Amino acid sequence: MKRGDERAAMNRLGSLGVLLALIALWWVASNAGWVSRVFLPTPQATFASLLEGLNLTGDSGNGELLAFTQATVGRMVEGWLLASLFGVLLGAAIGVSPSVRAWVQPTLEFIRPLPASALLPLAISIFGLNPGMVLFVVAFGAMWPVLLATVHGFAAVEPRLSEVARCLQMSRTAYIFKMGLPNAMPDILAGMRLALTIALIVAVVGEMIASQTGLGQAILLAARAFRASELFAGIVLLGLIGFASNALLAFAEKRLLRWQQPD
Amino acid sequence: MTDHRLLRWLRPWVFPAALVGVFEWYARRASALGSDALAPPSAAARAFVGAAMDGSLWQATGFTLGTAALGLLLGALLGIALGVVLGLSRRAAQLGSMSIEVLRPVPSVALIPLAMLGFGFGVRMELAIVAFATFWPLLVLVQSAVQQVEPRLLEVSRVLGLSARERAFKIVLPAIVPRLFVALRLGVAVALVVAVTVEIAANPNGMGYAMMIAQQSFDPALMLAWLGWIGVVGFAVNAVMLQLQRMVSRRMGVQP
Amino acid sequence: MIAATAPVTARAALPANASHPGRHATMQDTPFLRFDGVTIRLGGREILSPTSFDVARGEFVCIVGPSGCGKTTLLRAASGLVTASAGEVRRNGVKMTEPSREVAFVFQDYGRALLPWRTVEGNVSLALEAAGVPAAQRAHRIADVLGKVGLAKHAHKFPVQLSGGMQQRAQIARCLAQKPELMMMDEPFGALDALTRQSLQDELARLVRDDGLTVLFVTHDLEEAIYLGDRVIALQANPGPGRPSLARMIDVKIPRPRNQLTTKEHPEYLQLRRELFAFIEQGHD
Repeated sequence: MKRGDERAAMNRLGSLGVLLALIALWWVASNAGWVSRVFLPTPQATFASLLEGLNLTGDSGNGELLAFTQATVGRMVEGWLLASLFGVLLGAAIGVSPSVRAWVQPTLEFIRPLPASALLPLAISIFGLNPGMVLFVVAFGAMWPVLLATVHGFAAVEPRLSEVARCLQMSRTAYIFKMGLPNAMPDILAGMRLALTIALIVAVVGEMIASQTGLGQAILLAARAFRASELFAGIVLLGLIGFASNALLAFAEKRLLRWQQPD
Repeated sequence: MTDHRLLRWLRPWVFPAALVGVFEWYARRASALGSDALAPPSAAARAFVGAAMDGSLWQATGFTLGTAALGLLLGALLGIALGVVLGLSRRAAQLGSMSIEVLRPVPSVALIPLAMLGFGFGVRMELAIVAFATFWPLLVLVQSAVQQVEPRLLEVSRVLGLSARERAFKIVLPAIVPRLFVALRLGVAVALVVAVTVEIAANPNGMGYAMMIAQQSFDPALMLAWLGWIGVVGFAVNAVMLQLQRMVSRRMGVQP
Repeated sequence: MIAATAPVTARAALPANASHPGRHATMQDTPFLRFDGVTIRLGGREILSPTSFDVARGEFVCIVGPSGCGKTTLLRAASGLVTASAGEVRRNGVKMTEPSREVAFVFQDYGRALLPWRTVEGNVSLALEAAGVPAAQRAHRIADVLGKVGLAKHAHKFPVQLSGGMQQRAQIARCLAQKPELMMMDEPFGALDALTRQSLQDELARLVRDDGLTVLFVTHDLEEAIYLGDRVIALQANPGPGRPSLARMIDVKIPRPRNQLTTKEHPEYLQLRRELFAFIEQGHD
């Protein structure tokens, strides 16, 4: 299969080439002043800000970006874990019983389109401006995709499998853990992936409006102070966080759902 | 039998009514004890009517919906165009893949300060972010839809000697209409959510901002009214899009 | 040997001590499985008119009929998965209302009856777990049953990695692990290709003989029914007055073990085949 490998490598190279071309375009646009450097910093300035902020330069980099990144990631992950835990527990409780579903599902469908960030003002009202408030909204907002996915996963058990469970006289608990949960796993994992993107968004917005330490606040302040390179450095970091978290989860999903691949 | 049907019709409302009832009771107790963080739903309803009467409701709602629509229009047009191109050309898709992988994960909210910097406050800033947010899902979904167009139809277009433009408009676009509507439905949902989020975070216009202002002015009743209204608008818009999508699927002979 | 057309409510039982190839004769007053006026109605229409017959322990009974005659529903009613509209099914004298581990059910859509997230081993284990078999004993029993169906080498594969025939064998293995008294099979080989079907038929016949199982086997394939069964029950669709669902009950007096080549040239086989085909053709007018 050497030719296939070769072609794959050529494709990656071509793809990289296009990306580099775009970066080159950025370089020209900013350095030549096509777009004012107030809005579009040069790549080199952005990179310098990144290094400085992450404390990767030899001299007196203030390393703030690293702390901000940790804060934002911490919020995101904590909120996401809480959201996943409660989402699965509640979702299983609701999904397992058709009658509970019938009563509760319409309400869930109403909440589904609600923006998670819309809960921030209410949370501020109740909890005040503090990190706990942001964590609460992150967790609460991210919980819904997991909850809805879990409900769906439990509700959509292959009817044949339910009959097998009856034929084997499986107990209710056995049914939940041996059929409901594994069956819901693909849905739950997809829901958890969506929850992670929501967690990041709400963490950032929460930091912005509640003046909490983190990348959200950092880029807002950078914009207000017209420090474009720092702003871009922050955006790059947020993009990296988004990319890494999604990639990790996709990898975990593939491992856990090995049974889906006929290879 | 009519009893049964009436019950079925009422059932979706029982649980939320119970929740609202509990909330009402709790909020009344809380404000009686001096808290100004919560307001009972009854007060929120009154505040809602007030906002409807004095026009602020419609103005803010109009702004959010209008800006979201414009942003979606821009993002969708670009996303569909690029999606069709990448869907038709395997080469182009491969060349663009890394750039897409790098740019797509950037959360749209991260661009709020940048848009603020470039456009100030107002329609353009929010529109730009909505466009960015809706561009990606539409690109990905349309690309996938085009890639799944029946290859036989594309062969027919070659045999008939259709130009690239003719092929795109006469074969590809009609073939992807059902999936396109699914993508648009998702796009509408994203547009609305992002618009409200931008208003909460920064933009002093629209429903999100109205809700923030209500909270900052210690008017919990109005804040809750806005929260509820945002939920209703989101639900209604999504429901309409779902109906539209189903109608289109049925007309085009596809399983919804 | 064709029994007379069973009248609507008469019991079409065979005496317990009739000499019958393949049956373990038992002197019992209560037959092992009794269908007593089992009726099935769907949407106001009677799909299956009151049907009664007995099944003795160790018998292999095949049920054939055109689509819509209610054969699958009859099987499902017999295993407790659905309740008959009227009449009852009694196993060892006890009415069957709910599924029981002692009655194994083999579904036609094997792909959907296996847990896709468990390996073959894991799927068989499910039956043992449900029965409360202690973990220490499970491995041995799973290996035993997989050996019987010839899947020992594929124990660690997921269903998606198996062919249709292997998936069906995995389902049968799980059913065998239940150590059932009675095995219900709903067109188990219907979705498989001819060659796989033939080899599975022989494997099934061997398993049933070795374990002394009682089998109720629904199929639309007349030849399969005659080849496998000790008795063939032919149902007809759209029953009405003077036209009961249970139209024919035929004893298959072909000696065992049977063979795909020689049995199908046996005069008894050919005669039964002709008569059943003729009967089905009549039913189609």
